Amino acid sequence: MADNLVSTVDLDQKLSAQTPQEILAYALNEFDNIAISFSGAEDVVLVDMAYKIAPEKVQVFSLDTGRLHAETYRYLEKVRNHYNIDIDLVYPESDAVNKLVREKGLFSFYQDDHKECCSIRKIGPLRRKLLTVDAWITGQRRDQSPGTRAAIPVIQDDKAFARPGDSLTKFNPLANLSSQEVWDYIRSNDVPYNELHDQGFISIGCEPCTRPTGPGQHEREGRWWWEEATLKECGLHDVNIKK
Amino acid sequence: MRITFVKKIKLDGSFCKKCNEVQQKMDDAGQMEMIDEVLIADERDPSSPGMELASLYNVAQAPFFLVEKEGEAPVIYTVYFKFVKEVLNQKTQEADELKEILNDNPDLDFL
Repeated sequence: MADNLVSTVDLDQKLSAQTPQEILAYALNEFDNIAISFSGAEDVVLVDMAYKIAPEKVQVFSLDTGRLHAETYRYLEKVRNHYNIDIDLVYPESDAVNKLVREKGLFSFYQDDHKECCSIRKIGPLRRKLLTVDAWITGQRRDQSPGTRAAIPVIQDDKAFARPGDSLTKFNPLANLSSQEVWDYIRSNDVPYNELHDQGFISIGCEPCTRPTGPGQHEREGRWWWEEATLKECGLHDVNIKK
Repeated sequence: MRITFVKKIKLDGSFCKKCNEVQQKMDDAGQMEMIDEVLIADERDPSSPGMELASLYNVAQAPFFLVEKEGEAPVIYTVYFKFVKEVLNQKTQEADELKEILNDNPDLDFL
């Protein structure tokens, strides 16, 4: 495993200098059982790029939390038809949702925080899906939330979701792209986008937890705005890890 | 099987919050008996044993567990409840494990 990890680090350095398309091409070439996580927002560029690289290998899934905007459901359908691909909608366990709603109501995240709800509606289904693949691709970018995403690598060994005794590789081909560059790609390639973006939404998630943002606001301010940002302290500061 | 538990000391000299919480859970459950060695990853000292191990295995989170079995590749666990379930073969609540994953990976709620 150490050898694999070392090679992942080396690969990250090499791939970081490449374009998102080159990173995607590498990922799709290296793994047969690989899936793109599509949130129903601007990460559609991943679908578009992958479709142009290897249409026969495009496997896409979305987390349907049951609380998405109607616009997002329409958009998922639009993407499905535009590229003529299947989008695997992954749902939360009904028993877990039932228990949460019965005990805490439909909007508990406004009183507690969003993590319990997200755990049930997103992380559980995500884990279930990732147990079925060898690698996955996300649209995570470093500029989305400087506090937590500043160190997002292009390729990583995903220890949290790996099958027991197995490994899972995660690719973040858009890590080095800015929001502006993503939108330049969408416009110059006529990529279909979620109509919520025209209503001032930058980051799009569940309907109760997403709001439009104004000029100059960071996209993170459009999500869970009632919560105070907290410092993450479990990371081992890179500056102190000898390479 | 040999298990190494790595805890982090932050730049201000205190243990990280999760390290303390995990240590407490392990003490309460009697799981420390299963740990062969505890190493400290001291952020003030890149050459501390825990930081060396984190560097060797490219681990960016603490606490973490290194599980070594003869004839097999070593495995790193950064999710405590996953470690408890898969290595110690003890029952865990899925809700606890999912919450831990999200706490450690706050970016995931953007998906």
